[in-house]
Amino acid sequence: MGKHEIRLRRQRMSARGSDRYRNYNAVLKQHGNEKRIKQITRIFTFFLLIALIVIIFLAITRWEKKQTKPQSKINTPALTVT
Amino acid sequence: MSEDEIRKEEQIIERSKKDPRAFGELYEKYFDRIFNYILRQTDDEELAGDLCSQTFVNALNNISRYEFRGFPFSAWLYKIAGNEVNKHYRKHKGNKIFSIEELKVRELIEQATDDWDEEMITRLLRYMNELPTEMIQVLELRFFEDKDFKEIAFILDMTESGAKMRTYRALDKLRTHFNLKVKYDG
Repeated sequence: MGKHEIRLRRQRMSARGSDRYRNYNAVLKQHGNEKRIKQITRIFTFFLLIALIVIIFLAITRWEKKQTKPQSKINTPALTVT
Repeated sequence: MSEDEIRKEEQIIERSKKDPRAFGELYEKYFDRIFNYILRQTDDEELAGDLCSQTFVNALNNISRYEFRGFPFSAWLYKIAGNEVNKHYRKHKGNKIFSIEELKVRELIEQATDDWDEEMITRLLRYMNELPTEMIQVLELRFFEDKDFKEIAFILDMTESGAKMRTYRALDKLRTHFNLKVKYDG
């Protein structure tokens, strides 16, 4: 069983009829817009990726610093010799 | 399509990769065919106009990735157009429409019996409603767009033998149910 509907058209669409929808300038314009959006998205993603890498790098160096930091002064009770 | 025509199209495509304005020549050449192909699947002129424009925009957006694979350029456009139509139906969750020209049906089917009249056409349409959608798609490309099986397989993402099988099965059914002889038969 098909999920479709068959309709019968009495007349064929003439070339003049379809001319109303023919507009290459509009196609070019839309292509330009989509290209621009694509470029902006690509640049944005690139900077986002760079920012993410920098954040991860900073987090790791900070964490490493914390790990290798010399133990702060150990307070040993002072020896008093009498 | 002759070798010369294919080479000429190749040159336009190469130019279009650098300058989108060059693509206008292919747009003018294939607009009517793609528009009618979409109109046949939507039965709505406005919608067909929109989807047709989107088809050419998508083609232009991806022209840099186009490679000649032994099919005419139009096959690639038909494939994009088919995807646009499918996307539309998925989005709007409606049943697919196939709007076929009566004149074309009469052209394709030779009268085998004397009672070929309005009632017969109605019966034929009712019968075609029952066929699987994939079968109708193959029939449409074969008989309304005059595509060969290799091209149909590329456009519909199926094997060539699959396209042949679907067509012959549909024709067999038409023959047995309606005692019709289809012009492109055999």
